[in-house]
Amino acid sequence: MKLNTVIIGGGLAGLTAGIRLQKAGKSTAIISAGQNALHFFSGRFESVSESSADFIDFFAEAGVRLHYHEGVSLMPMGKLVPSSLSLEDVSIFPEGGLPRKALIVNFTGYHDFFSSFLAEGLEKEGCACRIRFIRIDEMERLRESPSEMRSVHIARIMDKAWEKVVQEVRVLLKDEDTVILPQVFGLKDSHTPSLIRERIPAKVVFAGTLPPSVPGIRTQLQLRRRYELLGGTFLMGDEAVSAETDGARVSSISTKNLQGHPLEAEHFILATGGFFSKGLSSNPQKVWEPLFGLDVEALADRNEWYDPDFLKEQPYMGFGVKTDASLRALKAGEIIDNLYVAGSILGATHPELGSGAGLALRSAFAVADLIAKL
Amino acid sequence: MKANEFDVIIIGGGITGAGTQRDCAKRGLRTLLIERSDIATGATGRNHGLLHSGARYAVNDAESAEECIRENMILRKIAAHCVEETEGLFITLPEDDLEYQKTFVERCKAAGINAEVIDPADARRLEPSVNPELIGAVKVPDGSVDPFRLCAANMLDAKLHGGQVLLYTEVTGFIKDGDTIKGVRTYNHQTHESGEYYAPVTVNACGIWGQRIAEMAGVKIGMFPAKGALLIFAHRVNNVVINRCRKPANADILVPGDTVCVIGTTSTRIPFEECDNVRVTPDEVDLLISEGAKLAPALNSTRILRAYAGVRPLVSADNDPSGRNISRGIVCLDHEERDGLKGFITITGGKLMTYRLMAEMATDAVCRKLGVDKKCETAVTPLPGSEKPSYKEVADQIWESPTTVQKASAGRMGTRAARIKDNDRYDQALICECEEVSVGEINSAIERMDVSTLTDLRRRTRVGMGTCQGELCACRAAGLLAKAHGCIQREREDLNDFLTERWKGNFPIGWGDTLRESEYTQWVYKHVLGV
Repeated sequence: MKLNTVIIGGGLAGLTAGIRLQKAGKSTAIISAGQNALHFFSGRFESVSESSADFIDFFAEAGVRLHYHEGVSLMPMGKLVPSSLSLEDVSIFPEGGLPRKALIVNFTGYHDFFSSFLAEGLEKEGCACRIRFIRIDEMERLRESPSEMRSVHIARIMDKAWEKVVQEVRVLLKDEDTVILPQVFGLKDSHTPSLIRERIPAKVVFAGTLPPSVPGIRTQLQLRRRYELLGGTFLMGDEAVSAETDGARVSSISTKNLQGHPLEAEHFILATGGFFSKGLSSNPQKVWEPLFGLDVEALADRNEWYDPDFLKEQPYMGFGVKTDASLRALKAGEIIDNLYVAGSILGATHPELGSGAGLALRSAFAVADLIAKL
Repeated sequence: MKANEFDVIIIGGGITGAGTQRDCAKRGLRTLLIERSDIATGATGRNHGLLHSGARYAVNDAESAEECIRENMILRKIAAHCVEETEGLFITLPEDDLEYQKTFVERCKAAGINAEVIDPADARRLEPSVNPELIGAVKVPDGSVDPFRLCAANMLDAKLHGGQVLLYTEVTGFIKDGDTIKGVRTYNHQTHESGEYYAPVTVNACGIWGQRIAEMAGVKIGMFPAKGALLIFAHRVNNVVINRCRKPANADILVPGDTVCVIGTTSTRIPFEECDNVRVTPDEVDLLISEGAKLAPALNSTRILRAYAGVRPLVSADNDPSGRNISRGIVCLDHEERDGLKGFITITGGKLMTYRLMAEMATDAVCRKLGVDKKCETAVTPLPGSEKPSYKEVADQIWESPTTVQKASAGRMGTRAARIKDNDRYDQALICECEEVSVGEINSAIERMDVSTLTDLRRRTRVGMGTCQGELCACRAAGLLAKAHGCIQREREDLNDFLTERWKGNFPIGWGDTLRESEYTQWVYKHVLGV
């Protein structure tokens, strides 16, 4: 069976493109190696500072609620940053609307949530903070192993035990207008965070934890569910190993699990991510794109890949696959007619598309809409 | 005696200073050690961590070779929890001259080093990672030593004998009375307080920075900063130290240590201004990899964890202003005899291996000046933590059925691990998963081992030294430090410093998996956590 489009990469860009194409009536498959950048998603679509109905409606159909208005958001280490389009888990405070008194609640012995840093950050803005630690019996078994107190494990328990947290918070709450909790609620859907918000008589803010990101994993599950409901084929745990080309076109992709049965399609989307996701590879001499051997925009001299100051922008993070204006990939200077590129593998080659999750969304929308029109 | 009066002031918190303080304190002197940053920040913490058998020096420097093998045997006994008895190999490759092996073995034996020629096939069985093309092999009693642990244990013993330690305190000047040094003026970089401390004898144990301290005291020592670059690999490729059996050259020693192995070094003369901020260049990295892979070909495909460099404190002979006649041996200068400056001693040159002997020589000189007649005991008395020979024995003694985390703690702290509070699950929770460091061990280090910063904590517990280079554990540990010190703002800055310091060792080798990990770290800190 020949598909309309094969998408390589099951992260935010790949899933978004897949859903959009399925909605347009195209047959698609996504090859997903497993973990992707959504597993450490901050919940903020960086570089999207607008209330884009396109994006909000698109995600709402998958059960992912987004919101945006001007203001600031609270980062996990207590810094306030200008708001972006965000998952509902990430609170946005309008100007002058920061909490005045906040109760920060953490679990005893959970070191991946930074209550004292959050408090200090808020206190600088004139918000009085009180930090309290709670113990929930159901969590005690996590402590049997010294490395189990991590966000996802807690979230699994919280799917059942969240009401106990609500009770503890109600007992602790005095005259605070805001309660801050770690983002460890709602691994499968956003029902639990909504219920917690309803049942606590104060504004509830969920602040991020060390990865993995519970809202990020949930978003990935919701998008994947939506994609499959629309008839898409999600090849979980598979990996593209080689590409077959026919002149200036890609004809099929061979995967690790489907040996001897290459996936044929009219169009292909490369959404394999940056270095961490192995969309780009590097050695001391060069940076390359490992699947197709596409042209990469990168600095030749290794010395220039980095800024010695960790906090400064790192040049290597801007490296990306070269494309034409329609985001079609280039190889040896020639356009590959039916290979489109989306997500962070683009690096900073298209600054107008933004960065991070914003780049993933915009580029995925762009390539999906181009393919749908063909 | 007033609180700011001592018998001896030691400047420098590296292994030489710490060893000298221990020796002086054990001989009953009131000691003060002053260090401008943290322990082991100079050459002490920036070398191979090789417990030299002395074989490397046997052909060219018999005196150093003899010192090394004596100290090697002593450290195995007194510093058991800092030493790993790995054995070592000197291999001859087809491109090397096998004739050299004969001279090498003869000179080793003359120096008292048990060097045994073995069949190349046996060498491969002893160390499977060794280059299979080797044509000759000699077994020697090399080992590995953790210099941070060794330094901390010496300082701890000094404190147990009444010594005082001032970290992050810089000597800004000397208090002089005519031709006599009476004490030092200091500035504390953390409290921003100035101080004055008095003692009839001051010991300059500042490594390469000793030249500047001597100048401040009004005497001149000709030192030559020689940078040595090294690479840490993310796996322990070899279990036996591998050396090249040839004249000492670049990148010809591969040392296993804890969970990693280290290849080095290069040797480049650098200007004094660069000593505070040495960098590893791409050329050095390339050379270390290509030469290292000749010892163990697996290095070609092993992930590199860090690049770092130290500065050797080489001293030129007094009658040689050109600096060509440089000694790697121990230099102990009594400036009263040499320059007519009373109350001032410099101990420098030497190497990590001979720190104890250097300390003994310096302490003998101090005692002569003070008229104290006490024998040195540091060669026979174990350091705190090293009273038992193996960490397994230590763990079994402390805990009924030790967990892997507890065994890791016992490996790092020796018998001192008994002081870790870990009687509940909260204390047993892991902060650093790569190196298996628990909440209890970190809190114990913060309370008992002079920890001000995350980097200090790393030197004492290995937090952030593993494969992830502090990606997640740094934040967790920052939370514990913030709680202990009660200052979030300071901890934010500390976290930034820690990340910058880790990055400094990562970017020179930033490709492949290191670049992947770096990209992830960038995302986590800047975009997820918002540092």
